[in-house]
Amino acid sequence: MKKLFYSQKLAPYVFIFPFVITVLVFWIAPIGNGVLLSFQDVLKDRWVGFDNYSRLLTDKIFFKAVWNSIKYMVGTLILLIPFPMLFATLLNNKMLKGAGFFKSIYFLPALTSVVVGGTIFRLMFGESSFSLFNQVIGFFGKSPIKWLKGANTTYFALLLLACWRWTGVNILYFLAGLQNISTDLYEAASIDGASKWQQFRKISLPLLKPTTVYVLTISIYAGLSMFLESTMLFKGNNSPNNIGLTIVGYLYRQGVEKRAMGYACAVGIILLIIVMMVNVLQLKLTGTFKKEEK
Amino acid sequence: MKKRICALLLTTAMAVSALAGCGSGGGGSTATTGAENAAKETTAASAGKNEMSVEGDDVTTLNVWTFIELHQQFYVDMAEKWNAENPDKKVKLVLSNMAYDDMHNKLSLALESGEGAPDIVDIELGKFPAFMTGNIGLMDLTNAMKPYESTVVQSRVGIYSKDGKSYGFPTHVGTTVAFYNDELLKEADVDYTTIKTWDDFKEAGVKYHEATGKTFACIETSAQWMINLMLAQKGGDYLDAEGNLDITNDKMVEVLTYIKEMQDTGAFATVPGGQPDNEEAYPFYNSGDYAVQIMPFWQTSRYTNYMTDLEGKVAIAAVPSFEGSVVETIGGGGTGTAVVASGEHAELAAEVMAFIKLSEEASNEIWNVLGFDPVNTAVWTDTNLTQNPDNQYIKYFINYPFDVLNEVKDHIGLLQSCTDEKAPSINNEFCNVTLNSIYEDGMDIKEALEQSQDTLSNEFR
Amino acid sequence: MGHKGMKSKNQKSKMEIWLSTILFVILAILILLPIWLLFIASFKPGGDLLQYGLNLELNIDRMSLDNFVLLFKGQHEYWTWFFNSIFLTAVTVISTLAVSAFVGYGFAAYDFKGKNILFIIVLLILSIPLEVVMLPLYKQMSVMKLMDNYIAIVLPFMAHASTIFFFRQYLLGIPKSLMEAGRIDGATEYGIFLKLIVPIMKPAFSAMAILNGMNAWNNYLWPLLVVRSSDKYTLTLGLNTLINPYGDNYSLLISGSLFSIIPIFLLFICFQKYFIEGMTAGAVKG
Repeated sequence: MKKLFYSQKLAPYVFIFPFVITVLVFWIAPIGNGVLLSFQDVLKDRWVGFDNYSRLLTDKIFFKAVWNSIKYMVGTLILLIPFPMLFATLLNNKMLKGAGFFKSIYFLPALTSVVVGGTIFRLMFGESSFSLFNQVIGFFGKSPIKWLKGANTTYFALLLLACWRWTGVNILYFLAGLQNISTDLYEAASIDGASKWQQFRKISLPLLKPTTVYVLTISIYAGLSMFLESTMLFKGNNSPNNIGLTIVGYLYRQGVEKRAMGYACAVGIILLIIVMMVNVLQLKLTGTFKKEEK
Repeated sequence: MKKRICALLLTTAMAVSALAGCGSGGGGSTATTGAENAAKETTAASAGKNEMSVEGDDVTTLNVWTFIELHQQFYVDMAEKWNAENPDKKVKLVLSNMAYDDMHNKLSLALESGEGAPDIVDIELGKFPAFMTGNIGLMDLTNAMKPYESTVVQSRVGIYSKDGKSYGFPTHVGTTVAFYNDELLKEADVDYTTIKTWDDFKEAGVKYHEATGKTFACIETSAQWMINLMLAQKGGDYLDAEGNLDITNDKMVEVLTYIKEMQDTGAFATVPGGQPDNEEAYPFYNSGDYAVQIMPFWQTSRYTNYMTDLEGKVAIAAVPSFEGSVVETIGGGGTGTAVVASGEHAELAAEVMAFIKLSEEASNEIWNVLGFDPVNTAVWTDTNLTQNPDNQYIKYFINYPFDVLNEVKDHIGLLQSCTDEKAPSINNEFCNVTLNSIYEDGMDIKEALEQSQDTLSNEFR
Repeated sequence: MGHKGMKSKNQKSKMEIWLSTILFVILAILILLPIWLLFIASFKPGGDLLQYGLNLELNIDRMSLDNFVLLFKGQHEYWTWFFNSIFLTAVTVISTLAVSAFVGYGFAAYDFKGKNILFIIVLLILSIPLEVVMLPLYKQMSVMKLMDNYIAIVLPFMAHASTIFFFRQYLLGIPKSLMEAGRIDGATEYGIFLKLIVPIMKPAFSAMAILNGMNAWNNYLWPLLVVRSSDKYTLTLGLNTLINPYGDNYSLLISGSLFSIIPIFLLFICFQKYFIEGMTAGAVKG
């Protein structure tokens, strides 16, 4: 028995055992349970078939939440992948003084919790004409705006908060990726007369692909499951006209606030399906699947 | 290099602190000192756990959840009285104060899972119906209330009841009254005592706005104190006689239209935070940006705690009414104190809380400490209490608060829908969507109501 | 230092350096701005914040150390939350790193039946938000009697998909000959992991410690469901209770928020090189 435990054949299974257990107990079981619950009215303790799902199909607030989450995710992808990649490329210059200093400054927001960061942003976007952003637009002669009561201004605030928190982290991801690329490649390209832009396009961009795929994956994840940022901006899960409501926010509202556990589980299952679809699509497009299967 | 940065940071921090220290020593504005002290005192009592120290061996520990920090001191004071009178049944309260949403959510999760619930919990009226569906996890308090039955306003017990069983001890009546900032109104030559009807109110508002350019009263976008009042006066509601959702009714439209018209004149405006009883709104009232609040009586304690600059400037009056109003005013808001049925000491908890909330001592304390209008209306006419010159609320307001209460005492109504299980969802929709659409985004009233009716119908089907 | 010898660089690249320096300085100012606002706000009365929001105004007359006096001397549970957060973060990071490295090594070092399918599961779970299973998981935890218990916060995430993925990527670059050498020396499979692999994983550990530490420090929704008693609150949960329409706690909120950054910030400034090296080294695959 002991010999078996130490054998090279069994060892890999011992190594991955904690993961298998975690998947079974903390993922497969709850997902299965969630599927079952989504066909029930938990409070009244009875089976309701597809009622929860058919109600979802006509639930405008749910669609609003889905739309808000997807809009947010797309916005963060557009802002939090190209720009950090560009900044990282520029920072990855041995002659640039203080690169380390910049890197740590940029990382700082990620160290502040969302509760703190979100509260700061809520107060910066205050309604009073004295709040920072109203002062800024006042400088350009505009009258104060109720930032957190309009859909577009709220979207702006949410994206700004996301950029503030994540730009530095993503810069570090890309820097880490860039350091894997041999400097010889750039030197050779430079001798061949390639411009910086050409070097970026022909060398950095393709070789950064694994990093980009990773950042893309976690950004999709973070974007679709966003909840706390919005909760902090609105001091709770309720926002005017639900402009800050996300899928997770709706799941929380239904499952916890309204005690409609079954309905909330249906929301969770739909979220799962959306995430899976987006990710499978993403992994297919970037060709990651093929590579892993080899 | 690194060390230098650290050192630099620390010295900068110290220098700035020293500088700031000097600044405050140099003489800040005296007007705000009171406010800051008050804020500090409340902070000290807030945020988390508060434990009674009780001597003796045979003491039962009861866990209490609250969402209003002011309630904690009141419970402790009353529990001490209970202990003095009942040495054989001493209790030790362990109080946790949590954020409003968090507390109710945690309670619902705890009752759901049958684990981690407190013994005693304050449940807000708007959330109460949510705990009245399915298997009720709260204790039937009808027996515990028996000794106090004759002195307590039964309609306030009714709002925490279902199928003839009572599940919550009421705290107050919450009579909706008008708070007028008399100093500001006088500047505009407006006499609040002449405001009797909503037409008067409108006229006064327009006059005030034209004279000062400031806002007369606020429009609520995240609460319905004023809307509920006007709706009840008109005899309207959110549900029809059969209990079906009906928010597009004419009376509702009329009420919302009145407010919309006031907004168009400039006399009414929305307020940051969306309602007068909100931390974001207090400073705007405190600095005189808004002159009037139509609020339930318990707003008194918000004045003394958070709008300290207005001391001696605010008068309490009866709310305006319509021609042929069905009721003069309504009870607004409320906290039902419930006992968790599965608790080990549920019987004792019920007995203690009945004493803490309903006894005559309790009624006195509810006014003295919390500034609420107690459910035991017998004390409303006790001048020792209602004109006590040392009472902080009596000192704060320029007239005797109970004079107004006694004026309307027999005409305090209620919206029937507030105990319906649909109420939390309706309120949520109104406070998130409907009112914002109308008063922030300028949507047509009928259209906004129809849209919300659709949303809610989908939820209730 | 030898900077003087660099003069020979051509004009164009000097220009580039200047432009990017300016860009980075501006970016740094923008990123620091909110924290600067928080810093000056912490000296203002809490009520001002509610009324005026956050702004750049420096009005020395209205500034004082009152908020910090309250923070250090007031009667509140801030420091309980603070140390709870530190404790929970430490426990989470240590257990996640230990378990995930173990699993990551399994994926990187061996070929075995079902590896591909399991690895695809890693990739899928890496992209599934916890919130999907939050409510059923909550029910499950409550059946397991783990409510109001930190175990429920730590246990489900010890084998953490994205950390496993990271370690696996890192370890792929390690030559198999190293393991063969270990086997020839008579080490067991686990001995190879502990004695040969773990020591060379240090950079990866520090990188993952940062990322997992950040997540644990910020964790909100799941602890909110699990934790009941306020003496078990973490900083994020506790600070959030201060944002309450029934109280005016902004004095404590703002000084407490600022203070929640200071220790971790000083630590970061003083150890930044180590942090960033870890991050960079963590992604090295060959």
